[in-house]
Amino acid sequence: MSSSWLTTRAWLLMLPLLAVMVGVIGWPLAETVRLSFTDAKLVGTGGDYVGLANYSKMLTGSAFQKTLWATLWFALASVAIEMVVGVLAALLLNEKFYGRTILRALMILPWALPTVVNATLWRLIYNPEYGAMNAALTQIGLIDAYRSWLGEPGSAMWAIILADVWKNFPLVTLIALAALQAVPRDTIAASLVDGAGPFRRFRYVTLPHLAGPLMVALVLRTIEAFKVFDIIWIMTRGGPANTTRTLSILVYQEGFSFQRAGSGASLALIVTLMVSLLALAYGGLLRKTAGRMD
Amino acid sequence: MSALAIDNLTKSFGDVQTLKGINIALDSGEFLVLLGASGCGKSTLLNIIAGLAEPTSGGVSIDGRSLTGVHPKDRDIAMVFQSYALYPNLTVARNIGFGLEMRRVPKPERERAVLEAARLLQIEPLLDRKPSQLSGGQRQRVAIGRALVRQPKVFLFDEPLSNLDAKLRMEMRTELKRLHQMLKTTIVYVTHDQIEAMTLATRIAVMRNGKIEQWGTPEAIYQRPATAYVATFVGAPPMNMLAGIWREGGLQINGLDRMLDLPRPKAAKADKITLGIRPEALQLGNDGISLPLRVDVSELTGPELIVTGKIGTQRLVASFPARHRIDTGELLDLRLPADQAHFFDVETGKRLNDDSHD
Ligand SMILES: Nc1ncnc2c1ncn2[C@@H]1O[C@H](COP(=O)(O)OP(=O)(O)OP(=O)(O)O)[C@@H](O)[C@H]1O
Ligand SMILES: [Mg+2]
Repeated sequence: MSSSWLTTRAWLLMLPLLAVMVGVIGWPLAETVRLSFTDAKLVGTGGDYVGLANYSKMLTGSAFQKTLWATLWFALASVAIEMVVGVLAALLLNEKFYGRTILRALMILPWALPTVVNATLWRLIYNPEYGAMNAALTQIGLIDAYRSWLGEPGSAMWAIILADVWKNFPLVTLIALAALQAVPRDTIAASLVDGAGPFRRFRYVTLPHLAGPLMVALVLRTIEAFKVFDIIWIMTRGGPANTTRTLSILVYQEGFSFQRAGSGASLALIVTLMVSLLALAYGGLLRKTAGRMD
Repeated sequence: MSALAIDNLTKSFGDVQTLKGINIALDSGEFLVLLGASGCGKSTLLNIIAGLAEPTSGGVSIDGRSLTGVHPKDRDIAMVFQSYALYPNLTVARNIGFGLEMRRVPKPERERAVLEAARLLQIEPLLDRKPSQLSGGQRQRVAIGRALVRQPKVFLFDEPLSNLDAKLRMEMRTELKRLHQMLKTTIVYVTHDQIEAMTLATRIAVMRNGKIEQWGTPEAIYQRPATAYVATFVGAPPMNMLAGIWREGGLQINGLDRMLDLPRPKAAKADKITLGIRPEALQLGNDGISLPLRVDVSELTGPELIVTGKIGTQRLVASFPARHRIDTGELLDLRLPADQAHFFDVETGKRLNDDSHD
């Protein structure tokens, strides 16, 4: 059988799938690109070509910049805290103690919960009248009056970050825990004989084996955090005073709440481009880490 | 006072006793090899000496100082591992100097020590590399260098050569021997390779099931194995073990009509006995006790010719210098010098020869 027939057959076999992919990914994407150059509304008339007007309006608008900062803030803070808490939890769960197996299983729970459930749960916790947060904090005397955690611009973002950390640190823990199993016992023993304390041992024996897998966790989490929508939408809808409005929420508002399909599409493409750049940069970083490891 | 003393040491994991009463007294400058099959407890013993594991009972002392409760770093020992156990993202130089760095030895002094060790091990050009850029042999040198710079009272080695290929293993073996002769530091070395044990050791402890089966110099272990186990464990090809019975005219090997004119040792109370013969003790010639052997297989290994055949109903292996030519099917008249016969109790496996005690 000639190789050209093999190639042809391969393409033939893939054709149905390709058709589906073009249908569900390619066509909407092309349509979004087209829309982004028009002043189309979500319903009704409009749709005249306006050139780059949508893009320049979005990029220069104060809403976009404020939202970009909010997104970066959310992504950096939540991912950083998740990484630290996740690794610490993994180190703890890697020690032998009574009930370790149960704790390991329980720890996965937040991550297994659907985001919607998690967000609703935390909204209850933060509830200004009967929420557990207020009750707990007043009881230990940290605050003297009940507060509206999600209603005040100063605390809303942090409240969401806490909820997001609670949900996502188990993923980091899980990855780190798996990596910890690969830390060679001999090297740990060697560091004991050499006289390295816990910090040096972590730095020179444990961390080199964690670095690669943690990098993967970091990439996954940052990209996800950058695109965050559901947890914030359920908890605050971007409020109060737009302090928790992230890019995805802005896209939604522009396109659906304000029904401006054209500028919404342009914004969506801008966000897509940013996430792609992020993914590309991380891809390079990952390859570099992998190269250093072996 | 011993450089290393181990008293009645036991170690259990749960219900399983892994070490069952180990006693060792080692003089300064000795090279002790712990030799034994996989799972006999060699690493466990070494880890206890290093302080990486706690004994269940008994104790370890170095130069008369009890090490009970002493942290590994304060035991004045250095250890080399089978897997090299290097720090992956530190350079060779820092790997070697790591123990000194942790002990806050000033930098110039540290660098001098590292350089000296590197020179000794011929890895100077590698000092700036990372472990991932080294071959297995080079990694093991770095691991040895890391132990050397510490100038400990006792070196501990856990199968340091078993990850290397045969040629490199031989080179490193010679290298280790040279280092020991130069440094004269006490060494405890774990291996299951009897050739390593024979070539390196000044003292061998053959271990079996958590006990020391025999303690002695390599010569003693080879020439006067205390038990049938030791006899077959040390030496390659292993010692032949023939079942026999004492009769009027001498020793009768099962399946052979003829009596062998061997003197019955005083300790041989029972009539049944095991006769041990090293393959290399058998000769072609006229001196010694005659043993007829029908050759089944004849293999040339290079320096040696290994001949396998039947004597009576039992299998026998003999080895000769390669210059001999022996064919399959040949009937050989092998000779055994009387002083090369080893006798073991059938029940206990204990050596029964009338050895002069020296
Ligand atoms: N941490 C442990 N928990 C339970 N059992 C153990 C532990 N460490 C060792 N053992 C058991 O103790 C026995 C001796 O192990 P050890 O590692 O000392 O053997 P070894 O002589 O070094 O063997 P090898 O030549 O394979 O390295 C084995 O049966 C092993 O299963
Ligand atoms: Mg071992």
